[in-house]
Amino acid sequence: MWTFIIRRLLQSAIVIVGVTLISFTALQIGGDPTYLYVSERASDAEIAETRVRLGFDKPLYVQYLTYAERLAHADFGESLTHKRPAIEVVLEALPATIELTVFSMIIAIGLAIPFGIFAALHRGTALDGGIMTLAMLGQSIPNFWLGIMMMLFFGLNLRWLPISGHVPFLMPLVQGHFVQAIVSLPQAIYFLIMPGIAVGFYSLSRNARLVRSSMLEVLGQDYVRTARSKGISETAVVIHHALRNAWLPIVTMIGLEFGFLLGGVVVVEMVFSWPGIGRLVFNAINQRDIPVVQASVIILALVFIVLNLIIDIIYARIDPRVKL
Amino acid sequence: MKKLVHTLLAASAAVILPLAPALAAPASDTIVIGMSTDSSTFDPPQITSRDNSNIADHIFGRLYDVTAEGKIVPQLAESYTVSDDGLAYTFKMKDGLTCEDGEALTAEDVAYSFNRAADKKNGFTGSTPGFIFSAIQFKSAEVVDKLDVKINIGTKTPIAIGLLTEVFLHCKDSYEKMSLETAASKPVASGAYKLVKWDRGSQIVLERIKPDGGTFKNIIWRIIPEASTRSAELIAGNVDVVTNVAPDQIDTVNKSGTAKVKSVQGTRRMYVGFNLRKDFASTPGGAAIQKADVRKALQYAVDVPSICTQLLNFECTRATGLVNPPNDNKSLTPYPFDPAMAEKLLDQAGYPRGKDGVRFEIKMQAPRGRYLNDANVALAVGQFLTDVGVKTTVETLDWTSLYTPLVRKHDAGPLFFLGSGGALWSAIYDMTDLAEVDSGTNYTSWNDPDFFGGWKDIQNAKTPKEQEDVVNRMLKVFYEKGPWLLMYFQPDFYGVSNRVDFQPRRDERLHVFDTNLTK
Amino acid sequence: MSTPINAASIDPTTDTGYFAEKRRFREWSRAWKSMVKAKWPLLAIAILLVVLFAAIFGPLVSPADPNRQNIMLRLADPLTVARNRTFYLLGTDGLGRDIFSRLLYGSRISLLVGICAIAVGGAIGTIAGLVSGYFGGWIDDVIMRIADIQLAFPFILLAIMFLVVLGPGVVNIILVLGIGQWVTYARIVRAQTLSLKQKEFVEAARAIGDRTSVILFRTILPNVVGPLTVIASFNVASVILSEASLSFLGLGVPPSVPTWGSMLAESRDQLLANKWWLAFFPGIAIVLTVLSFNILGDWLRDFFDPRLKQTS
Repeated sequence: MWTFIIRRLLQSAIVIVGVTLISFTALQIGGDPTYLYVSERASDAEIAETRVRLGFDKPLYVQYLTYAERLAHADFGESLTHKRPAIEVVLEALPATIELTVFSMIIAIGLAIPFGIFAALHRGTALDGGIMTLAMLGQSIPNFWLGIMMMLFFGLNLRWLPISGHVPFLMPLVQGHFVQAIVSLPQAIYFLIMPGIAVGFYSLSRNARLVRSSMLEVLGQDYVRTARSKGISETAVVIHHALRNAWLPIVTMIGLEFGFLLGGVVVVEMVFSWPGIGRLVFNAINQRDIPVVQASVIILALVFIVLNLIIDIIYARIDPRVKL
Repeated sequence: MKKLVHTLLAASAAVILPLAPALAAPASDTIVIGMSTDSSTFDPPQITSRDNSNIADHIFGRLYDVTAEGKIVPQLAESYTVSDDGLAYTFKMKDGLTCEDGEALTAEDVAYSFNRAADKKNGFTGSTPGFIFSAIQFKSAEVVDKLDVKINIGTKTPIAIGLLTEVFLHCKDSYEKMSLETAASKPVASGAYKLVKWDRGSQIVLERIKPDGGTFKNIIWRIIPEASTRSAELIAGNVDVVTNVAPDQIDTVNKSGTAKVKSVQGTRRMYVGFNLRKDFASTPGGAAIQKADVRKALQYAVDVPSICTQLLNFECTRATGLVNPPNDNKSLTPYPFDPAMAEKLLDQAGYPRGKDGVRFEIKMQAPRGRYLNDANVALAVGQFLTDVGVKTTVETLDWTSLYTPLVRKHDAGPLFFLGSGGALWSAIYDMTDLAEVDSGTNYTSWNDPDFFGGWKDIQNAKTPKEQEDVVNRMLKVFYEKGPWLLMYFQPDFYGVSNRVDFQPRRDERLHVFDTNLTK
Repeated sequence: MSTPINAASIDPTTDTGYFAEKRRFREWSRAWKSMVKAKWPLLAIAILLVVLFAAIFGPLVSPADPNRQNIMLRLADPLTVARNRTFYLLGTDGLGRDIFSRLLYGSRISLLVGICAIAVGGAIGTIAGLVSGYFGGWIDDVIMRIADIQLAFPFILLAIMFLVVLGPGVVNIILVLGIGQWVTYARIVRAQTLSLKQKEFVEAARAIGDRTSVILFRTILPNVVGPLTVIASFNVASVILSEASLSFLGLGVPPSVPTWGSMLAESRDQLLANKWWLAFFPGIAIVLTVLSFNILGDWLRDFFDPRLKQTS
């Protein structure tokens, strides 16, 4: 167990180095970033001086090594546009994105299971057809379009849900303001519904179809037939036999889903004015704010790695066949 | 199983429905403004973007102010005098000014505000040290006595006073104690409002500290990047004023019954630059535009008024030069849309249509998402040029990719679409884009001596009238042989809810000091 | 997603001559029968054929130049007849370009982007997976670590970063979206290769002294094609959607290249203004195509996996 964890941690370290290297090179191909940090009418001398001050005059590998060395001391550098530590800027935006990703994961997985099971149990009926058609459509609609349409329909026309904006929940929680967090939870969820669906709908559709087909598979197995023939109720069959076998794929799904959902976050955060890391990093890339891009990418990679590590361990706990 | 699903549905409905009353119009002492970008800092010398300084305008006071009509009027200063050589400006401050924390604001604080911004140690890159100080060649600021402060500059220029009005003032004691990091996020106000809350990427909340400072007690600036979302929030009544309404959404907003779009002719000069740098002449298109005749011919090819009405939803008069009305040369009339004339002039200039109908090919670079409907305007210009036989390929780029490696290094083009901020208070301010052949902002590398020779005459002009004559002469040269395909002054669209009587101004400044609730 | 796929039922060492011909024929006819039985895949294929037809012959049937603007006739309703008798079947867009023509030309680029991106990702992934699974050891380690790096790096960020730096362009989009896909293929091919490596026919080939490249591409590869096609048909769909999202962020194809995704993205300002046709037609094109690929993928999976077939 421990050797497994240590090996995984070592691998993760390599992954992190790779991630920094890729993002660093990618942004450097864009050309000399000095010009972003001087005014429009700055003189050549001023530009040259700024270049030296920011270290952009050194060879690339020196810049990377300097960066890596500071990184080793947990110093992510200062954001070139915000003039504050990059890590601070990123950590401020992280909770909103985590809220959105977790909520959409709940939608993508939490709703997919009942829908999938329901469809499987009613296979061939109009309900099954309806759910599956919706699921097919869900896999064919770009998320920004779904987002804007929902916003216009449920937000503007029906006024059921807030059009855009964000009520923080995780931030006060992390800062220790528990009461404030609990009180704002209902509001936070209220604002999360539309962006959450926009991010999670594609996955929800895909997963519902997966659950349905694996459910059908399990329901066709001999032991389920036996159980049924013994007169055990349908609900009991589903819960005891079918669901128990469906756990493993679901746990695996969570790990991969996180990375996937994160992909939808950038676009949806724009549409719903969500103050998260997706928008932050998109702006940072556009402004070539390298420290912020680096810090966000590393933080996201860390979250991903830790999540997958936990999943592997859980996996080993519930599946006796896997040895760590 | 059915039961389970029903229970689930009922449970989720029970959780969500009671949350509904969250939607409500802003309180009567609060105004909510929706804008597309977040601020990056509130440390005055670090501020660059217009959105950012609009908020800062409510937090910090300045020596003088420019009114919506372009008049320069006192703000925290009472009066000023200029030395005979034009290199020293002495301001007399109003008495009894204070900052947010109660500290008195005197000449000492003004001098500190200037010198701190200029201090290289701080490494500020905002528009105060980067643009203003380099334009006036700022030397130093010194205290004369308690209320008098002298600003020394290195060049005599008629626009110095206008530029000095843009510098934000703040108190010395509080800022001396602060680290740069604190100063960026926790400003100590010297103006009418103070910053009380800044949820990054989400909202910025200001609260009034001077009783007579403004009508609303609270100003909330919400950051809403997507245009459709801003319009939707406005129509729903959650936001009172939004900036940059998408032109195609204007009618929808106007028909909503809850809000109207107010449009103003802005001061930003939009143009298509002809890059005249010699190395561009190696391509046929690049060589063609080196000739003033060809440039003039192309002026007739583009239907600017139609671009305005169709793509910008705004009636505009085509620009005749680089100076905003009313300071422009009144004797010039805008080039009409006359494709036949364009074709005739191109034939005469030695560029007849080839067998395929093409005279020459040329590339145009344009930003995407920087100016109002920029990519579409550029594409439309490309079509107009193609129609007269100049086959134009339009390439759109994000702003940083266009500006940093290309425009900035005078490498964009041979055609490029760009906007340059202007002002109402001086023709010369607008013309400083082309202050010298080597100016950083002379992106086209134009070098006509008839134009650039004029700058000496402006310096030597004895009277404003004499100066105006020189300006008009230079503008005539620019009109005839200039390096810009003249377009329009960018309109600005503000969505204003029926709840407030907000009046937009032409210079992209968004101030709500005098905005009231309607009735 | 990780449904086991069993394509290696045929032993390729005997796959020659007359019997092979006959068996191949039998396979095809089995496929056809199963398709007819399921009905939906037939419809999907029909739709995809129409799209393919539009992609190949679009320029011939298209009534107008897809980039020809007429700003005086922008946002014209569908079925508009202009004063000069030009007929706009599906209306015009924000620059007065004919939507029908753009849709036809768009099918070409959208399919091209979808299929080429899959080809790029599939090729890189397959080679990486084969090499990694067959050789194992440090090569396997290196390739799998690179895969880990890519997985830990949210794809959209990687795509944005490279597209911002490289600039928009069809080739760049294809490369970026393709590279975003390779890990999926590499993992599947690697897993298959690992198990196939132990099989008799592979060992036989090695014993005969076949070159490694022959073993990899002639002996092992044909046995992983089944699962690869399944994944590929699902991925074409998601690539088309990714292209739309990148267009929304302004990082899609250049404005002179019509794609369904960019048409949809360009309609964002008009959604509020009720100019529904701008979004509706490219939207429908995307939905139908993606749906068809998904249906086809579903069917392929069932077809290659006899175990699933019995139950559904």
